[in-house]
Amino acid sequence: MTTTAPTRTAPVKMIRSQPARAPHGARPNVAGGILSGLWFVIVAIPLYWIVITSVRTQQGFFGDHPLVPPSNPTLDNYRLVLENDFWRYLLNSAVVTVSAVLIIVVVGYLCAYTIVRAPGPRTRRVFNVLLLGLAIPLQATIIPIYLMIVKAGLYDNLLAIILPSVTFALPITVLILVNFLRDIPGPLFEAMRIDGASEWQTMLRLAVPLSRPAIVTVAIYDGLNVWNGFLFPLILTQSPETRVLPLALTSYQGMFTINVPAVIAAVVLSSLPILALYVFGRRQLLAGMTAGFGK
Amino acid sequence: MTAHSERGAGPVRRSGPSVLLTLPALVFFATFAIVPLGAAVWLSFTEWSGLGDPTWVGLDNWRALLTTHDTGHALWLTVQLMVLTWAVQTPVSILLGVFLAGRQRYREILAVVYFVPLLLSSAAIAIAFRNLLDPNFGLFAGPGLAWLNQNWLGDPDRVFVTVAFIIAWQFIPFHTLLYQGGARQVPQSLYEAAAIDGAGRVRQFLAITLPQLRYTIVTSSTLMLVGALTYFDLIYILTQGGPGNATRILPLDMYLTGFTGNQMGLASAIAVVLVVLGMVLSLTISTASGFSRMESQLDGE
Amino acid sequence: MAKKPLRRLGAIVAAGALLVTAGCSGGTDDTGDGAATAAGAGDVTTVWVTAGTDDVLQASIDRWNADHAEGQIELQVFENDPYKSKLRTAVSAGEGPSVFSGWGGGGLKTYVDAGEVASLQDAYDAEPALRDRIFPSVLKGGTVDGTIYGTPYNGVQPVVIYYNKDVFEQAGVEVPTTWDETMAAVEELNAQGIAPFSVGGASRWPYLMWIAYLTDRIGGPEVFDAVVAGEPDAWKDPAIIQANTMIQELVEADGFVDGYSSIDANQGAAEALVYSGKAAMELMGAWAYSGTFLSGAPEFLEQGKLGWTTFPTVAGGTGDPANVTGNLSSYFQVSAGASDAAKANATDWLMHGVFDDTYIAELVDTGAVPPISGVEDAIAASSAPEWNAFIYETAEAAGNFQLSWDQALDAAQAEALLTNLEQVFLLQITPQEFSENMDAAAQG
Repeated sequence: MTTTAPTRTAPVKMIRSQPARAPHGARPNVAGGILSGLWFVIVAIPLYWIVITSVRTQQGFFGDHPLVPPSNPTLDNYRLVLENDFWRYLLNSAVVTVSAVLIIVVVGYLCAYTIVRAPGPRTRRVFNVLLLGLAIPLQATIIPIYLMIVKAGLYDNLLAIILPSVTFALPITVLILVNFLRDIPGPLFEAMRIDGASEWQTMLRLAVPLSRPAIVTVAIYDGLNVWNGFLFPLILTQSPETRVLPLALTSYQGMFTINVPAVIAAVVLSSLPILALYVFGRRQLLAGMTAGFGK
Repeated sequence: MTAHSERGAGPVRRSGPSVLLTLPALVFFATFAIVPLGAAVWLSFTEWSGLGDPTWVGLDNWRALLTTHDTGHALWLTVQLMVLTWAVQTPVSILLGVFLAGRQRYREILAVVYFVPLLLSSAAIAIAFRNLLDPNFGLFAGPGLAWLNQNWLGDPDRVFVTVAFIIAWQFIPFHTLLYQGGARQVPQSLYEAAAIDGAGRVRQFLAITLPQLRYTIVTSSTLMLVGALTYFDLIYILTQGGPGNATRILPLDMYLTGFTGNQMGLASAIAVVLVVLGMVLSLTISTASGFSRMESQLDGE
Repeated sequence: MAKKPLRRLGAIVAAGALLVTAGCSGGTDDTGDGAATAAGAGDVTTVWVTAGTDDVLQASIDRWNADHAEGQIELQVFENDPYKSKLRTAVSAGEGPSVFSGWGGGGLKTYVDAGEVASLQDAYDAEPALRDRIFPSVLKGGTVDGTIYGTPYNGVQPVVIYYNKDVFEQAGVEVPTTWDETMAAVEELNAQGIAPFSVGGASRWPYLMWIAYLTDRIGGPEVFDAVVAGEPDAWKDPAIIQANTMIQELVEADGFVDGYSSIDANQGAAEALVYSGKAAMELMGAWAYSGTFLSGAPEFLEQGKLGWTTFPTVAGGTGDPANVTGNLSSYFQVSAGASDAAKANATDWLMHGVFDDTYIAELVDTGAVPPISGVEDAIAASSAPEWNAFIYETAEAAGNFQLSWDQALDAAQAEALLTNLEQVFLLQITPQEFSENMDAAAQG
């Protein structure tokens, strides 16, 4: 899977560069090599421990050496997690992520498109206000947001997660989209205009298709953040009906108590959807994660 | 909506789409970011337990913040964590990123593993490490590993470093990715010229790679430093700010004061401090780094 | 002044939210299904509890629902730790249940003071037989300013010492009954490579049991009563300072298992250390018997290897050694915001559906002992008669049953207490500093 053509999968320009074989001449990069070996161990061992622990029995967990794979691996832990409302939490997470990303992309795109296509003091002010949001730690707003959500009757409703999540994703989204849209050559828009296309048509037929890579990027980046978000669900929802996966992990920990293998199995299961995405679209995903910060 | 747009103006000065299209984004932003900021300021002058309605108490919370409440400690911890995580992550990320910029196949395979932590939620990472570091049943409880079994999360002198390590474990992949992208943009010709001049590896790295990465360094550092104000999820699950108050950084202090101690007013005052800190930090970095990232992006390329 | 801006804020937000949801996407409309559970329940009486007694309660509710077509009750079960803040937020949001569980004491008082709880005094006055059967110390925990607001519904949960019989036998050590014997046993057990006490320090609240018991043994219940009453310098009482000094002596003598400060009490790891033989003893509430020991290691209990005893006496102390600390019981409160019909139905159920004979028998069978006099027969007939009898006698004999300190205090002081006490256990602050810090927190 590492051999896919780079031209097809590198959506954002700064990620791409000329392929280089041994970029620094013949001598090997010793420091980098040692460090990367060390880092490999640091990353791989916890991951390895997570995987083998998730297939241990509870007795095995108490008795076996923690680094030796279990002699009698079991999938019971996974079954236990799946039997305890895992699908509902997964669905909640999916609903929250998909709706939030849809709103973010539509709202963010309209905003970014306007900022780029209607330059002027007003749009500039809009952009500056939104960029201010990059510096606001979202934790700092949680008490008022909680109060507002409660007063609006949205407490313990998935909308309570979606709406603030959208808000805090907008600044970076607009920033990325603006940067991308600026690079679309002006004559293309001019040609559309001469053809008599309306502004909507120009946006939908010209700008959207051309900025698809940026849209994908934004969707991935924001989707991952919303999917993994913890604070908003923690404070703005309470019942199992509205529980999303990261929050479910803590409740599984409370439920399974000392059955650590089951807790770890829940950790693995909650990460699987994203890991699957990673396996099938690694380059796209990684490019998406850093695209906004390439400059 | 666009009917009133003027057509046929010059290619530069055309009216384009209506400014109203930015309205949805602004409404979101105003409702869930600007209004809450104002409300936090207002709440910081009230007393509210979470039950009933807030009552105005004037400067009481701010006085408490400066006297009885241990804000200084939380602030100091936050700064320490900021500096420590930056100092650990930056060199490692740069070296790894430059290394992974090479396109050898084995490096690509290494990279597949490197980036996995990036995908896991903070909740998943915290719960996994909590169990992994358990002194009695965790990873290091096995025979032969006793020297590593150090009560990493329970010892107030050690927990801070442990938390910084786990943060690094989670975020170094992201910054590595940034530096990998940056390193791949360094023109190959620079290295070739340097090699002809007989510059060694270290010289090349110091004279070419690092200067060429300066914008990436600024970006990555900004994200790390501002991000340090928001390490909430991980520490909340790992330590709840403990043992004692050894990891009670500002965001956690705010949460515990508000939602566990039921002092929403005092917690709001802490939140205001947090916002001011975030703003000051962003401004300082963008000024100190000699160029404004936001400006440069506004003006395009 | 205070109320108006809030209302306006609410209106702005509601309008904003409406605008946003209406304007952006129809795709979000299908996401609101979770909210209906509490608010739109109509005539159903909702009951919120923490996990533990839910099977018994569900059985009682099923019987009730079968007989009361007009007064259906619905039970919702929550995990222990997040429950308190969840309840507070839900009640505050006007989405609270008709009946909710709590632990009495200071927590109950804040709800009463906020006008969120309906009085049960009249209902109790109409049922003197029930009122007189409940242990007075327990009924007191549900009483605020002379009025009954909370009615107990599950077992008394005194804190006791659990121990591993095999470990003591193999080590040739006697189970300690005094503090001096405890310190001697600590030395002896350590010499043999066994951790004396297990404690779930990462959760912080297990530490409270130590200071509560030691303070009571040294200075009697008056010491903490003064703290609850908010008397000046109450935290600086010599008994509290001595209690913390003894705690630090125990810590310095390696009285607690290695890494105790990172053991999560809610995960059952502290009990696992006892039944796996790594630690000899644990000071823990009665709920751990069925909660973690029975579920985590049933064979350990079946083979009679789990021992239990009361907290050691302290030489020279003025407190009655029969006193205990712990959770008196969990209490039900009726929400003031519930509809009149729901309130009437809830009260009716609490007076007649909870603590009837079937309920008591089922409760005892789970290893919980109701705070009700005259249930010896049910205890003798239960699945764990010795354990249940021990708890029952301990609770009944207690001259003072001290409610857990964190429950007795208001939340802000409880939070400060947990943090400072943890620092005492970690030897980060001295007993004197603890008292000064707590005194400051109490004034603030």
